[in-house]
Amino acid sequence: MLIYTLRKINLFIFTFVGLSLLSFSLIHIVPGDPVYLLTGLENLSEEQYQTLSHQLYLDRPFILQYFHYLGNIFNGEWGYSLTSGESVWVEIKQTFPATLELVFYALVVAMLVGLPIGSLAALKKESITDHTVMTLSLLGISIPVFWWGLLMIMILALTLGWLPMSGRLSLLYDIEPVTNLILIDILLSNQDYKEAAFQNALAHLVMPTLVLATVPTTQVIRTTRATMLTLLKKNFIKAAQARGIGRWNVLRRHALPNSLLPVSRQLGLQISTLMTGAMVTENIFSWPGIGKWLVASLYQRDYPAIQGGLLAVSTFIILATVINDLLHTASDPIARKTYNAAS
Amino acid sequence: MPIRRRQSFRVRLRLAVLGSITLVTLTLAWMLKDYGDNVRPHQGLVYCSEASPETFNPQLGNSSTTVDATTHQIYDRLVDVDAEGNVRPGLAYKWQISRDKKSYKFSLRQGVNFHHTDFFRPSRTMTSEDVVFSFSRILDQNHPYHSIGGGQYPYFQGVGLGNLIRSVVAVDPFTVQFDLLRPDASFLTTLATDFAVILSAEYGDWLERRRQKPLIDTKPIGTGPFHFVSYRKDSYIKYRRHPAYWGPPAKLERLVFDITPPPSARLGKLLTGECDVIALPSASEMALLRKNENVRLSIQTGLNVGYLAFNTQHPPLDNVKVRRAIAHAINRDRIMAAVYFGTATLANSVLPPVSWAFNDSLPFVDYDPETSKALLAEAGLAEGFEFELWAPPIQRVYNPSPLKMAQLIKDDLAKVGIKTQIVTYDWQTFRRNLQAGKHDATLLGWMADTADPDNFFRPVLSCQALSHGTNRAQWCDFEFDRLLNDALSSSDRSVRKHYYEDVQEIISKQLPVFPLAHALRFQAHRSNIKGMGLNPYGGIRFSEAERE
Amino acid sequence: MLRHEIYDDARMPSPLARALVEFRKHPVYMAAFYWLMLLFALSIFAPFVAPYTPDTQHLGELLVPPSWYKNGQVEFFFGTDDLGRDILTRLIYGARYSFGMALLIMTVCALLGTIIGVFAGMTRGLKSSILHHVLDTVLSIPSLLLAIVVIAILGPGLEQVLIAVGLAQVPQFVRTLNNAIREELSKTYVTAATLDGEKGPRLFIFTLLPNLLEPILVQFTTSLSTAILDIAALGFLKLGAQAPTPEWGTMLSGGLELIYRAPWTVAFPGFAILISVLSVNVVGEGLRNSIGKVKQ
Repeated sequence: MLIYTLRKINLFIFTFVGLSLLSFSLIHIVPGDPVYLLTGLENLSEEQYQTLSHQLYLDRPFILQYFHYLGNIFNGEWGYSLTSGESVWVEIKQTFPATLELVFYALVVAMLVGLPIGSLAALKKESITDHTVMTLSLLGISIPVFWWGLLMIMILALTLGWLPMSGRLSLLYDIEPVTNLILIDILLSNQDYKEAAFQNALAHLVMPTLVLATVPTTQVIRTTRATMLTLLKKNFIKAAQARGIGRWNVLRRHALPNSLLPVSRQLGLQISTLMTGAMVTENIFSWPGIGKWLVASLYQRDYPAIQGGLLAVSTFIILATVINDLLHTASDPIARKTYNAAS
Repeated sequence: MPIRRRQSFRVRLRLAVLGSITLVTLTLAWMLKDYGDNVRPHQGLVYCSEASPETFNPQLGNSSTTVDATTHQIYDRLVDVDAEGNVRPGLAYKWQISRDKKSYKFSLRQGVNFHHTDFFRPSRTMTSEDVVFSFSRILDQNHPYHSIGGGQYPYFQGVGLGNLIRSVVAVDPFTVQFDLLRPDASFLTTLATDFAVILSAEYGDWLERRRQKPLIDTKPIGTGPFHFVSYRKDSYIKYRRHPAYWGPPAKLERLVFDITPPPSARLGKLLTGECDVIALPSASEMALLRKNENVRLSIQTGLNVGYLAFNTQHPPLDNVKVRRAIAHAINRDRIMAAVYFGTATLANSVLPPVSWAFNDSLPFVDYDPETSKALLAEAGLAEGFEFELWAPPIQRVYNPSPLKMAQLIKDDLAKVGIKTQIVTYDWQTFRRNLQAGKHDATLLGWMADTADPDNFFRPVLSCQALSHGTNRAQWCDFEFDRLLNDALSSSDRSVRKHYYEDVQEIISKQLPVFPLAHALRFQAHRSNIKGMGLNPYGGIRFSEAERE
Repeated sequence: MLRHEIYDDARMPSPLARALVEFRKHPVYMAAFYWLMLLFALSIFAPFVAPYTPDTQHLGELLVPPSWYKNGQVEFFFGTDDLGRDILTRLIYGARYSFGMALLIMTVCALLGTIIGVFAGMTRGLKSSILHHVLDTVLSIPSLLLAIVVIAILGPGLEQVLIAVGLAQVPQFVRTLNNAIREELSKTYVTAATLDGEKGPRLFIFTLLPNLLEPILVQFTTSLSTAILDIAALGFLKLGAQAPTPEWGTMLSGGLELIYRAPWTVAFPGFAILISVLSVNVVGEGLRNSIGKVKQ
């Protein structure tokens, strides 16, 4: 297990170097002058240009530049956004938690909805229920996220007027950002309108979460159903049934716990799809997360921001994947055994 | 008892499903409970604006977005204009004009407080020093703040304020004297425009000592009814009431600008009540807004013009015949229908017909592809040619959808053999490239800052405006400029009208810009918002707005 | 040449052929399959099928609702947009960009991925381990992020999106192939063939390849649906195909401005995407099920 862990960590470092190289070299691959791309300053005098170039390490060999870049990354100096003038690191710190929040709630919804429905479909295999569930889940992975979001807005926000259509919290509430996770920040704040703000934030969360949860939910349903079907044929289930334990209890005590592992692993593999989904969802609901921010930076060709955003998101995805792998291997005896047998 | 077990399983399953559904519904219900009532914790108002302001100092900007976000919210001017275009007292409660009309003496109000915020605490009230500071920044190239923020004061340079004002002097703490080089009938209205705001000299000194001069334009201090709290680009601006405002205090405790560029999103948010007031409701959705009882729509004839500006320095557009050919090839009726949805009138002059100086005897440029082809042949371009048509990425009152308009024009021009390349950038880049004159032709427009007709011509087409970048036609005609100056030397409207008619004739003949439309001006707000007056010119103001 | 059957040889159809027989029995799968064929035909023959050209602006016919509405006209079956362009025509032409291009790029990806995957599957040791790691890394980066990199370098456009989508999908094929080859190599029929003296390319082409077609096909449908969705999503975000191009995602985002007044400008392109992706997924599901049944 230790060797496995080390190998995974090694892989992570290896990947991180690759990603940072990519993000670093972006400035040099993009057509245009690196000094201009990083500072947004045009028509500089020769002298100013030299000074800036020196400050940005652009006059050193590439290797030195890269190490300088890496050093800056670890010191939290990710450059300054050309459009807002803010530190890229600060902006990422503000936007990334918003995305994570959305992704987290979507995962929770996916599990809460997907597990029971998936089990139900498996128990009633080939019944109408099963077919309906499977058809709906096929529909769920086929629907374009942005269109689905628009439909929701049209129905829940505009026609019925139940939910707000964009943002994270009504701008009239002033909540001190501490963790940048809105619900927690509201609970931490000491405003007298705390409860109203909490409600408001929840109302803002409903639609983006549901839209983002659609794809992972269908995945959970399908994986749960498939695992359950294999499990239900297994001898220990049959043994349990033979002992006279009710179907409900067999499901609850034996089948469900055993299906959790593959399902959670499947979800872990979904993290990159989920991030993609989040980026699109944020743009529909004007959710102030990293996806919206990154796309806006792209429109404005704000290279320091694009560099930072790419590195942050991709590193996060790799990190999450590696951790998921590790956790899964640590908690699953079979996977551990396979690994040990293979090496 | 196999059957019974089976049943109980079903029952349990159903119970479980039912239970979870109830739970979800209850949670949702709790979330939505009084959602509408609880949304406003204070006397606050959300205004959904169309874009981020370029700066928080309107002296530096000439876009209506900047003006809307700043002028009437955080600043005051020496004088104001009312809806009829008459000059009213502002920070100056009275003024005297010398007999030769070259000297203006303003008496300032006493006890006018600057904003007291968490980033700056003023120690004194407004004096003549602040007025001198504000104008010296624009006029005096050696002023410590002149070059902060780029050193460009588009509006003032466009109207040639530097060639008009000889000096601005503080006579005593509450009297300021402006000396002019020549009489100018529009001088008072220039001071009343949204750009001529009064900044705090004390704040300027304080920032200079702390070596943070640029903050003067990004963390503004003014005397207006609201003070600045925070700003996030492309996201929001937050203001709070200025409790020690010299005039009647604002009724709103908080004012938030929710920056929402897509028009459909603004409209949606107005319908859901997330926005209380929205900027530029789409012309296409008027019917929907009129039907909705929660929404009020105010309409006003706009003092604006949308036009196609030719870069008269790029061949073949330097040829009048080519410009005329393009004008005749454009089907403006179709533009009226597809872009404005009938909320604009066809323009025949840069000046709207409601202006007193409008020339109603100008020849009308009709849609006539044959004439167009003939003109092209005369210009030796019977085979057609290709040019770049620039379409700004933003909406304005005078042009709700430039990109769509460009596509229509492209289609029209293709019929007479002219190929069009539609070019667009993000707004900042667009402005920069426009300023550099890289365009062949661009769709733009002008919104009046004052009721004076001079405001329609000088910033748009005069030679001064050429170097300062509001003259997008890159056009300079000395006869035209002379007429404009002559028109200002008199204060008799009938005399001035005569000059302006000639001015319009020159434009109509030379066609450096092709006027397309005068759009109606709309504003939509929730019906429980009161006090949202709409001026024919100038930015939006929230000082009297309130929620019922 | 006349072929003499000396022995009375009962020819056993290949598993894939049997799977296809199974697939054909299912009307839903077939319907989805025919729809995809139709889309394929449309993307090739759009100019002959479509009633107008995608850029024709019909004067005075702005925002005509679909033909079954009160003010609808039969000439514009799905109505017109704000410039008076026929929506049906644009949808037909859009099949080229949204479906045709996706199909094209995925074919290229499948070929590339198969070649790399075969090499990867046939190698062992350190090389394969490195490849494995690189693959894992690239696989975990979502295509949207890759697209952002490409767009950051080359600017927005359909070609850039295609490059990015391709880059994201090649590793998927490589991995599928790699795994499938490893699995197949351990099976007895391969050992049997090896014992018969087959090796190298021969072993690969005659013995392995027929058995690899299934995983390639299944992967192809999965990748195709992702590709269609990604192209549309980037078009919607205005990073993909640019405005007058009738790509479905781009059309949808263009219609947004008029969503209240003319909902059909948003509804139809979205529906087209949904139906197409759904069909691809149904065909994929059908293939998987049929193969599964045959294998049982």
